[in-house]
Amino acid sequence: MSMNERAREETMAGLREAGVSIACFLPESLLKEIYPALVASKDIRGVPVTHEGEGVAICAGVYLSGKRAVMVMENSGIRSAAEPLARLSLGARIPVVMIMSFRGDLGEPNWWAVPHGITMEPMLNALRIPYIIVRQVKDIRPTIVKAYTSAYTAMNHYAVVLSGECTDYFPTATSQSIG
Amino acid sequence: MERYECMKILASKLKDELVILSLGGSVDEWYNAAPHMREASLFQQQLGCVTPEAFGLALGLPHRKIVALDTDGGLFFNLGILATLANERPKNLFVVVWDNECYQSIGCPPTHSAKGIVDLSAIARGAGIEKAYTIRDLETFEQMCVEGLGANEVYVIVAKVSQSTAPNLKRKHSDGVEDKVSFVRYVEKTEGVTIMGPSEHN
Repeated sequence: MSMNERAREETMAGLREAGVSIACFLPESLLKEIYPALVASKDIRGVPVTHEGEGVAICAGVYLSGKRAVMVMENSGIRSAAEPLARLSLGARIPVVMIMSFRGDLGEPNWWAVPHGITMEPMLNALRIPYIIVRQVKDIRPTIVKAYTSAYTAMNHYAVVLSGECTDYFPTATSQSIG
Repeated sequence: MERYECMKILASKLKDELVILSLGGSVDEWYNAAPHMREASLFQQQLGCVTPEAFGLALGLPHRKIVALDTDGGLFFNLGILATLANERPKNLFVVVWDNECYQSIGCPPTHSAKGIVDLSAIARGAGIEKAYTIRDLETFEQMCVEGLGANEVYVIVAKVSQSTAPNLKRKHSDGVEDKVSFVRYVEKTEGVTIMGPSEHN
């Protein structure tokens, strides 16, 4: 089993342990094995969305029903979803838990992902969203479970940012170069 | 049509449903048109989030009819939700879009429906939502409310309403946090669930 498959299994296990039954997602590449698992899952309903802002709003509605949801996305989604995220937590104290890949982390070989690395933490801080960066697979499951406890206690969002061995980690820059 | 008159018609059909609606001119109108639904209604402040949030509620409570009272400006902000609804096909979601062709709360500059070119119900049908209609008279509105609330599939009506608000209405005073807590406690009471439970230690 590759590291990525282990990360997928631990993520799914963490979501189940946290009581999540609905997972909204906008697919990207670093967590690419998670999305088919969400679609195939019998006990977690995967809901593909067109925009991260739409996804977090759906998750907010799920919270209001008494069920638990997660938004899975690339970290660039924090910029797309900033408006509803700000209003949901700061304006109404409706919490949403997000799992996001850390594009732009150390070793990022794609120029287009550089803004994601530069803006992610300032955006999360500006939105007053607590977050934790998880780089080891063994930490995924307990972190997801605790993220729900923290979010629902504080009535604020929580972001679990996956990087390192928890993702389909960056190949070398050379192998990505063009021409 | 006058939105307030539409609201009174819709409100007369509601009992056990839950409602998500937008801020703006419709807040005080709904507050007065549906006094029996105050605890069951959540006023949400963000453009583009009313229908998605109602869909999330519908996902979580598949046995209960959920009503979204969205707006033209709000739906234009996130047309993608129509595609998501078409794919996910919730059986318990009724969406009413108050289309007054303007951003009413900021003085009524026009939305994209104002020129009569863009048709929100056609966009919904194009997305794959079969039951999506534009309504221009109260009699049809009432008929469509009955059909939409009784439908076993997602149902969208775009209600063409005037740009005026009903005068001399009692104002709603609560903010987003109070609204959320009130709504959550109502869902807890009527569903027998705990959403905001006690701390480990009090």
